[in-house]
Amino acid sequence: MRILLLEDDNQLGPWIAGGLREEGHVVDHFDDGKDALIAAMGQDYDLLILDRMVPGLDGLAVLKSLRASKDTTPALFLTALGEVDARVEGFEAGGDDYLTKPFAFVELSARVNALGRRRETSESGEAASTILRYADLSLDLLTRRCERQGQPIELMAKEFKLLEYFMRRPGRLVTRTMLLEQVWDMSFDPTTSVVETHISRLRAKIDKPFEGALLRTRRGEGYVFGQ
Amino acid sequence: MRRSSMVRLSLLLSVIFALGMAATIFVALALGQNAVERRVDTTLEALASTALLESAKGESPSMILRGTDDLAGLPLPFQRAAARGGGTIELERNYLRSDIWRVLISEDSAGTPVMVAVSLEDSEQAQELLAGILWSTAGLVIAITLAIGSFAGVLAQRRLARVNKTLTQLAAGDLTARTGHARSRDDLDDIARQLDRTAAELESLVAQTRNLSASLAHDLRTPLARLRSRLEMLPEGDERSAALEEASHLSGVFDTIMRVARIEAGQGRDGFTEVPLGDLITELEEIFGPVVEDDGKVLKVALSAPATVQGDRQMLVQAMANLIQNALVHGGDEITLIGRSRSIGVADNGPGVDPSEYGEIIKPMVRLDSARSTEGTGLGLGLVRAVADRHLAHLSLAPQNAGGDKRGLRVMLNFADL
Repeated sequence: MRILLLEDDNQLGPWIAGGLREEGHVVDHFDDGKDALIAAMGQDYDLLILDRMVPGLDGLAVLKSLRASKDTTPALFLTALGEVDARVEGFEAGGDDYLTKPFAFVELSARVNALGRRRETSESGEAASTILRYADLSLDLLTRRCERQGQPIELMAKEFKLLEYFMRRPGRLVTRTMLLEQVWDMSFDPTTSVVETHISRLRAKIDKPFEGALLRTRRGEGYVFGQ
Repeated sequence: MRRSSMVRLSLLLSVIFALGMAATIFVALALGQNAVERRVDTTLEALASTALLESAKGESPSMILRGTDDLAGLPLPFQRAAARGGGTIELERNYLRSDIWRVLISEDSAGTPVMVAVSLEDSEQAQELLAGILWSTAGLVIAITLAIGSFAGVLAQRRLARVNKTLTQLAAGDLTARTGHARSRDDLDDIARQLDRTAAELESLVAQTRNLSASLAHDLRTPLARLRSRLEMLPEGDERSAALEEASHLSGVFDTIMRVARIEAGQGRDGFTEVPLGDLITELEEIFGPVVEDDGKVLKVALSAPATVQGDRQMLVQAMANLIQNALVHGGDEITLIGRSRSIGVADNGPGVDPSEYGEIIKPMVRLDSARSTEGTGLGLGLVRAVADRHLAHLSLAPQNAGGDKRGLRVMLNFADL
């Protein structure tokens, strides 16, 4: 992916840029909002990573200007203002995701890939199917039925939502925070092992009784569904 | 207009004034009537004593003079009045020219008992005219008083309403609200001006606090992020994992502090929606039921007629999550989610907390007790308390069961009746 990074911190900026390049992305790194805006206007990026508080032009203002000129490139905000208000402001300005400092690089990387993936699917015009399938597992969003190898599987409401989230992102790293935000609508960490518990229950239903595990844990990073 | 005390007051005063005036007019008219009668009586007396029955006997259109033994032919009321010794009589039809007469029994110049009567028609007319003038003047004055009173009442009410509206807006979190009243001519103006000044001060204080917490967040999160990036660049190993874990814990503590500060700094009902408490409890059961179960404990739900309240759902979930976490760490093997009318809460059957310490564990943040609770060394309900305060809900702590048993802890958020 071709990524624009706007981050003025002289330690975080190179760290993020370096990490993303290592993962095979092309990164243009700016530490001034105006330069970033000019670059984003002139070139076609796959993703924008914008820090909220930078000199020149605030990341929020950069994105607002771009959205005003009909630029729909996905944008991820990085911020030290991790509060709900700031989060809402970011989404209102047209941001697609929001990451609070400090964050683990793997968290950023997972979100970058999720956003890039979203762009690919929306651009390829893939019809929204009501039945999700992966290998021998299928999930019917209308009848809310789940089957593996032709055997029906009973899922609780949250397990269903969790599985749907994974099946829409096969092969992608999904972090605990992403799950809390997307499946449980919690922008805070409930400290109890909510995610772990539900994952292990889901696994007991879709993986344990069958050959070949679909849902795997990547220690210290998150979970990956499928290959 | 709702309960306009000023208008009501002026109406009340007008009514009292009108009643007073009516009473005065009645008294004045009665006194006037009385004076007229006495004057007429004096005249009649004089008339009788100077006349001689023999020569003056008879009647003119406005006067009658007869011997008391010669009353036949006069209408009955005259005879009755004569028998009583005199008085005012009103006839059903005119006799001669008049239907109202003043009758007096006296003696003529020769000492013969006579009945004298004069028509009161003229003075009656005068009396009626006077009454008419008095009543219409009174009516006019009352109408004017009422108009001025209501007008002044409505004006004062409008000014009070503006003060009231401003206060409501301020309470709802709009700190830019002002009465916009700069004149100062009376006490109401003074109140409005003072309110504006207080609101301005409040607004700038809140803005300062917000800026402070924003820059605090920025100034602490940036170095934390740098620390994290440096740690992640270290070679893989136990030391690296341990250091990263410490760093995560550190930012977790910081997040908790910032979150409580944010909840405490928030105002009014920003972000509030209708939250059906029954649904909330059901969702919490769905989220935390498996967690509690995997911990070898039981999660129960006690719902009775849960109401719908105005609230911030995320915050309520967060507060309840904290309570459940507390119950998991400190409670017994049974945790109950309670949703009862306008209250929600969590109860456990653990060893409980000495009631003398209730005050201590709900102490308002920002102290670190809430942060300590993430390590499980304390019970800090700072965040729960902040959420309760934000919802104007009353936070109550009690043993699990009412009665003598002091075991267990039940923490409830009781939403005010609206």
